[in-house]
Amino acid sequence: MTNIAIVGTGQTAHSRRRLDVSQAGLAREAVVEALADAGLTMADIDSVVVASGPAMFGAVNQPEKWLVDALGARFKPVVRVTSGGGTGLAGALAAMNQIKGGVAKRVLVVAYDKLSEGALQASISTLYDPFWGREFAVGIMGFSAAYWRARMDRLGHTEEAAAMVAVKNRHNSMLNPKAHVKKEVTVEEVLASKPLCWPIKVLDVPPISDGACAVILAAEGDAEAITTTPAWIRGMAYYSEADNAAHRSMLQSEPLKIAAAKVYRAAGVTNPRRQFDVAEVQEPYTCFELSYYEGLGLCPEGGAADLIASGATQMTGDIPVNPSGGCMGANPIGATALIRLAEAAMQVTGKAGAYQIPGAELGLVQAGGGWANLRGVAVVGSTKD
Amino acid sequence: MVAATSRNVAVVGSAQTQLKSAWSDRQHVDLISEAVARALLGTGLRIEDVDFVIDSGSDFLDGRSISNCGFLGAMGAHHKEESRVEEDGLWSALYGATKIASGSASVGLIVAYSKSSESDPDNYWTSLAEPFTQRPVGLDQNSVAGLFAQRYLTRFGVPASALRAVTQKAWAAADGNTFVDATLEMLEDEYWSQEIASPLRRSDMARPVDGAVAVLLASKDVARQIGGSPVWVTGMGSAIDQHFIAARDGATLPAAAAAAAAAYRMAGASGASDFDIVEVSAGSTAGELMVLEALGLAEPGKAIELYADGASPGLNPSGGALPADVVMASGLVRLHEVAAQLGGRSDHAPQGARRGLAHASGGLGMQNHCVITLETS
Repeated sequence: MTNIAIVGTGQTAHSRRRLDVSQAGLAREAVVEALADAGLTMADIDSVVVASGPAMFGAVNQPEKWLVDALGARFKPVVRVTSGGGTGLAGALAAMNQIKGGVAKRVLVVAYDKLSEGALQASISTLYDPFWGREFAVGIMGFSAAYWRARMDRLGHTEEAAAMVAVKNRHNSMLNPKAHVKKEVTVEEVLASKPLCWPIKVLDVPPISDGACAVILAAEGDAEAITTTPAWIRGMAYYSEADNAAHRSMLQSEPLKIAAAKVYRAAGVTNPRRQFDVAEVQEPYTCFELSYYEGLGLCPEGGAADLIASGATQMTGDIPVNPSGGCMGANPIGATALIRLAEAAMQVTGKAGAYQIPGAELGLVQAGGGWANLRGVAVVGSTKD
Repeated sequence: MVAATSRNVAVVGSAQTQLKSAWSDRQHVDLISEAVARALLGTGLRIEDVDFVIDSGSDFLDGRSISNCGFLGAMGAHHKEESRVEEDGLWSALYGATKIASGSASVGLIVAYSKSSESDPDNYWTSLAEPFTQRPVGLDQNSVAGLFAQRYLTRFGVPASALRAVTQKAWAAADGNTFVDATLEMLEDEYWSQEIASPLRRSDMARPVDGAVAVLLASKDVARQIGGSPVWVTGMGSAIDQHFIAARDGATLPAAAAAAAAAYRMAGASGASDFDIVEVSAGSTAGELMVLEALGLAEPGKAIELYADGASPGLNPSGGALPADVVMASGLVRLHEVAAQLGGRSDHAPQGARRGLAHASGGLGMQNHCVITLETS
């Protein structure tokens, strides 16, 4: 099977409000940086996949059509893949299939969200069924809090453990020039912060951001000609789970486990804790990062609190998670999954600058969306196998 | 070298609900599950055999963010790979075909639906316009279609009255298609006279309808195991024009031509004349003429000649999108139609047809185009 590599990445300066650019300008900024990173121009790109969050977030329907002019994509194939918060990874997966399926050689994936332009939690609330659910739904926080509460009892995901995730990721963000939240916090401050929907408190929650990310993919043969530092995609999958059925416990994410098993098999990963040098996960709230530790097999079920407390997932630990700062540093929802992929690619090619994990060769990526029912996993490496 | 999609992927099953202006007694999930269940019939495949689902629908039309999440069960996507392509379903089919051609999967289910009766389709179209310079001046699908039609008719000296033949052919074909709730009796005087955007009248515009369609794609190996007469995907292409209306030609559709050229190249086809069936989606009668010219079925300004009595039995045998525009699914309905007609599963197939072409468009003024070509062995 054809190997695919990431040959260029780019990100905007993320911020709470990018008043200086439109949505199209925001996407263009990331694309210009990715093209420069790869040493390519739009003339070298066969196809464009736009991935962005739910269209209501930015109040423009099918926004990829507006982006065409700013991206210089006229007369190219342009398609938008959208899959909730994990859409960036879903878009990258579509791009990989275009190359492997023989309809394109080089594909540009651009993911973005300009959350300052829409009513975020109101838009999210429309996710729920209009007949059964919407009348008592409040954004995405309510059920996330309920599931965390259940995991507290059954898996020991304490408020203190989650606070340590906030402390770690906000600390890491200090070194990331693209992160826009630069403020360290302590466990005590997180625990004392205002409850929004207990046990979720203000400092458990990432910022709301404007931002974009772009990634260029190419096939083996072509990729080495483009760059001396391709980041090889060793596996990628994006799985779903239907409906919030009452028989599902949600203690562990089933689609995450299915996706991880498939990707680990493709990448030859049998001991994730030992084999991965670095992980980038999409943590919409701190409690989710704890859950992902277990779902991704970085620790046994019920072991997440011990893992974070041990310091293993710190930048200096044996399995650093989110050296970029994760969503705590910047959270343009539609772009965050592709940012995780780009950050992992930067790590395994030695391009992560001040937050580089020395000698990182194999990186783990996790992303997801919907009502925690869409889950994607990818593995990137400095070598093809 | 990467895998070639051509003739490695087959349509092994497909089905649609009836398309009608309002399915008021059925929910989205009812329409979707009917199409999915019927697409599997006769293939010997069960939903458990489906590796992945790619689907098309619109959050704006559904009034629901990440609306695919609400329909995963109906689509049979539970614990499968799933993604939403928020374009016409023909782009989902293109994605699905690449996934199978890549060797990543063997069986894929492509689903598209719209239920515009529960929404305001005009708002769907208006919200497509870039919000700073185009939306405030009131550009919508009607005004853009009118501007482009005016330019087309003027440039090529085609009288607006000639467009009547396009409507008549489309609705007569739809009248004979049991899966479209359209009758010639619906075309009353008011339908012909109500001005929408000069020179276009109500009868020139695509009619939004409710419905769902499902297409089952499979690898060569699975298609051979199923037996029968698989319908092979031979070519695929898509291309988009610029968004800003002023930057576009208006009287021609170069993006449709680019999409067709890519599909013909992959299929090894010399041009549109290679195809016995051509099913296209257009937003208006004048738009349909421009699509046919971009595909190469007629010289610029000459497509109206295809509508002379009995001239083109292979052109939109289903009636096309004008009598029944399923908004996010019209192109995938075209693919289903071509596959069913080539595969002997349709009662309105032209005789002896072996090769067919399905076309989809999207965006204001048909900014985006997709073409997939099919062939029976």
